[in-house]
Amino acid sequence: MVAGNGASREEEGTGGDAAAPQPQAPMRLPLVRVKALVKADPGVTLAGQEASFILARAVELFVETIAKDAYCCAQQGKWKTLQRRDLDNAIEAVDEFAFLEGTLD
Amino acid sequence: MAERPEDLNLPNAVITRIIKEALPDGVSISKEARSAISRAASVFVLYATSCANNFAMKGKRKTLNASDVLSAMEEMEFQRFVTPLKEALEAYRREQKGKKEASEQKKKDKDKKTDSEEQDKGRDEDNDEDEERLEEEEQNEEEEVDN
Repeated sequence: MVAGNGASREEEGTGGDAAAPQPQAPMRLPLVRVKALVKADPGVTLAGQEASFILARAVELFVETIAKDAYCCAQQGKWKTLQRRDLDNAIEAVDEFAFLEGTLD
Repeated sequence: MAERPEDLNLPNAVITRIIKEALPDGVSISKEARSAISRAASVFVLYATSCANNFAMKGKRKTLNASDVLSAMEEMEFQRFVTPLKEALEAYRREQKGKKEASEQKKKDKDKKTDSEEQDKGRDEDNDEDEERLEEEEQNEEEEVDN
């Protein structure tokens, strides 16, 4: 699944090595914004600190994943700039992204 | 003015950075694509929250916990996230524990200082105790690394 990008990949472990836990890049997303989204759900009473943390980390992984998948689609057209249509193609092509259909317009 | 949940976007700068680091050098992303990914990320949070909440309710809990989120990832077919998330969680827990111990340690040191100021005798003994404690902490760290 993961192509090795020599350049900027010193810190992150990408799930390929199961043996030793790789140090992950520091969290970039502010927890406060993630919590605001969680609170927006009327069904949710409270989210624990750990839950917000993992959710924020999951979003980072998600953004990485969808960017890479969109790039793979773009590769076929050999663009150097990812376009909206590459994203749309990825969403259609990848099952996990089905939940996004119709939400981005 | 009521905002739709989808409008609660995550910071653009951060999203952009994550995207750029995920892509090979020399590849850029259009504004439209970037803002679409940002919206997708918000939708992802909302969807994941909703799934996680279902698990919490099944467990008759009102507070979402880490395992609810992990279960949600599997439910959403993002199993590939589960391992890195578990690792991140463990690191986070260690960090929190370390912080807690550090602040407790500071507290103890602080108490000790006031004691030793009152009694000059006890000072040498205190130094020895501190050294022992430091050794213990180092051993603990080594154990964690082996794990």
